[in-house]
Amino acid sequence: MPTVLEPVTKPIIKKRHESDDDLAPTFYVICWNDPVNLMVYVTHVFIKIFGWNKEKAEKHMMEVHEKGKSVLVKEGAEKAEFYVHQLQNYKLEATMEPAE
Amino acid sequence: MKLVKESKGVWQYHLAQNEAAVLVGLLKKFPFTKIDPVKISKTDKHLKAREREKLLNESLAEHRKELKKLALDLIRPDKFKQLEKGWLMTLRLEERETMLQILNDIRVGSWHVLGEPDDLHAQPAKTSAKDLAYRSLMDLAGYFECGLLTTE
Repeated sequence: MPTVLEPVTKPIIKKRHESDDDLAPTFYVICWNDPVNLMVYVTHVFIKIFGWNKEKAEKHMMEVHEKGKSVLVKEGAEKAEFYVHQLQNYKLEATMEPAE
Repeated sequence: MKLVKESKGVWQYHLAQNEAAVLVGLLKKFPFTKIDPVKISKTDKHLKAREREKLLNESLAEHRKELKKLALDLIRPDKFKQLEKGWLMTLRLEERETMLQILNDIRVGSWHVLGEPDDLHAQPAKTSAKDLAYRSLMDLAGYFECGLLTTE
């Protein structure tokens, strides 16, 4: 059987970091401190929206209280926007900031 | 205001006569303040961020309208049962969340009207009748929020 030299074709494999998902911008959802929202209320809202246990919710609440803000989650635009809407519905000052 | 029982997503609270009257008054007259525009980002200056901010403020305005309707549902006669001393208020899970959102809207809205003071307990040099009214609203809303959440 004659040997046929075929051109070697390598499959084009996109590197992991080149996928569309990875190129999509991500955002930090941040809750900012204010003197009016009660600590017990902020903890409750975090539990309700993120499904966190009380310990984690209180940790973030204390971070807001003591450091002026807490980064709650890092998400793609759509989900970050969803969380900001949810937090703002409860009258917490929440924003989404581009993650670099 | 005191939690009597919580079972299978239903909360029952005992309210004294005057507490029930005040809470119903707050819900009946909600909202007390105009809605303030909010920012979706402190750093993002892109067009997309401005679009998101517009959408957020539209959504919050719609949410406020919905809360106004739901506030009236919360004072339906079947929600309150008269007892020998006071009232028994029964709330399902979502009704409790709605009540919390309404109360905090009153609290935060009043704080905005008062000029967003850092120290909520400080006595301002001059206090108008309007300021007193909003300070009372803020305190009352906080009182009932604590009542709803103290058991957690």
